[in-house]
Amino acid sequence: MNFDDMLADLKAREDKARAMGGPERLAKREAQGLLNARSRIDSFIDEGSWVETGLLAISSIVPEDREKTPADGKVAGFAKVDGRMVGVVANDFTTKGASSSATNMKKIGHVKRVATERGFPLVFFGESSGARMPDNMGAKGMGVNLGSDPQQYVRNRESPWASAVLGQCYGSSAWYTCLADFSVFRKGAIMAVASPGLASFAIGQKVDAEELGGWKLHERTTGLVDRVVDTDEEAIETIKTWLSYMPSNCNELPPEAPVPAGSDEGAARILDILPDSRKRGYDVKKIIECIADKDSFFEFKPRFGRTITVGLARLGGKTVGFLASNPMGKAGALDVAGCEKATRFTIMCDSFNIPLILLVDTPGFVIGIEGEKQKAPGKIMNFMQALQMCTVPKLSVIMRKTYGQAYLNMGGGRNSDDVAAWPTAEISFMDPHFATEIVTWGQDASEETKQAIRDQMEKDNSAYGLAEIYGVQAVIDPRETRRYLIQQLEIHQLRLSGGIGKHRMSAWPTTY
Amino acid sequence: MATTEVTSEVIGSVWKVEMSEGDSVAEGDLIMILESMKMEIPVEAPVAGTLKEILVKPEDSVEEDQVLCLIES
Repeated sequence: MNFDDMLADLKAREDKARAMGGPERLAKREAQGLLNARSRIDSFIDEGSWVETGLLAISSIVPEDREKTPADGKVAGFAKVDGRMVGVVANDFTTKGASSSATNMKKIGHVKRVATERGFPLVFFGESSGARMPDNMGAKGMGVNLGSDPQQYVRNRESPWASAVLGQCYGSSAWYTCLADFSVFRKGAIMAVASPGLASFAIGQKVDAEELGGWKLHERTTGLVDRVVDTDEEAIETIKTWLSYMPSNCNELPPEAPVPAGSDEGAARILDILPDSRKRGYDVKKIIECIADKDSFFEFKPRFGRTITVGLARLGGKTVGFLASNPMGKAGALDVAGCEKATRFTIMCDSFNIPLILLVDTPGFVIGIEGEKQKAPGKIMNFMQALQMCTVPKLSVIMRKTYGQAYLNMGGGRNSDDVAAWPTAEISFMDPHFATEIVTWGQDASEETKQAIRDQMEKDNSAYGLAEIYGVQAVIDPRETRRYLIQQLEIHQLRLSGGIGKHRMSAWPTTY
Repeated sequence: MATTEVTSEVIGSVWKVEMSEGDSVAEGDLIMILESMKMEIPVEAPVAGTLKEILVKPEDSVEEDQVLCLIES
């Protein structure tokens, strides 16, 4: 064979691999408005930056599949996104349902290793029917394919991971989504341990796909995904936005961005949003948007654990994480879902050198049988331990209520590097309304007596009481909050380590 | 003409309805106040338009995501 023939042969092999599962299957997807594995990558990366690995890989288990498994169903490689290196694995559902087999698992392992050891993010475009059959059957199937990588599901958070759920995601696509720091879910996709068909077969009940693993379940009940979107394109843009806040690895600082014009103007509106009455709720997102750089707030899990609002934003051009009570959800009382959300977010910020800003307005924890059944005390301690182990700068602002253990969980006392209070702050062990009932328990106290006790308690709860004993470092005009936080962030920079935290929770679980 | 459904963010009850059907609303206007966990939860207009229909009345119980009123714009 001469060189021309050799090169023609190489080109033919490459073309075949790039054709994925064939024009018919690709056209069918296109008609449904879905991108395919390669068009997803093209939409995601900087043009011309793609470096593929394993293009000519094929099935190595079933001889008849050699011609039917271009790239072995998982497209893998490296590329630039907004000028920064990322590793990418995009599942090609038109090839054997992007099922996992020996060759493609080696490809994923390689991209993961390189991204981790060379220090750049890893992004999964998930769509997978699960383990390939019959490849994984029998003792030999299990022995050759599964379990041969002792690091496969280790998550040490050395570099950021994102995952998009873009179709049926069973098996590995579900696992990687749960291990990722950030996940986005396209409506219509399904994420579950196994398919509804298998689940129906195994338990003898008809299982509806949306009920088993649809967007509403994951957005509102499990909280396993961070954002829900309508299209593939939106999912890809959402991951790019998330990456823009993140450092390439745990030993870098997050990238800085220019401060948009008008960012200092929002803080003056805080007094229009904060209600006069302590009984009136408000959406804390509006407060965050007044404090952060203009249009920079990027929320995680907006419909899950809504007693807490969390998200990344920028303050003076630097990435920060906001963790705020939201009185619109259960009056801001911390519940189990809120604690889970806060724990996971705290770990992500701490692992990637992102300072935390806690905005506090909570009457305490949601109490009652439902929470206890869901292990509320354990969840509260997970959150508390995460906050205390966190080594990035932590700043708290008490906006209104902060009571009991929730005061500590939201950074009160020495649980933040600096605590400021607005003049509207109320600090105590318990809301005076309930505390009055407890101190007069069994007594024949008149309503007037109770009111006098309540009034005195409310007076003793003031921000100034805490300022006098240096329980807060300052009482500030709410409109000064942005300026104050930017100054405190500068003061609390981790100069001794060049801004890098100790990452003591980098190997903590990714689900709570 | 587009109709926007205004839904409840919380499980609770209707405390006060501050507007009437046919009223013009601007984005952010207070339409009604719900009560949940002893907290007053304002329901504000997500878009400008005309309040076409109010589907609840004071003391009604409301579920999360329940449609409270319709705005035509």
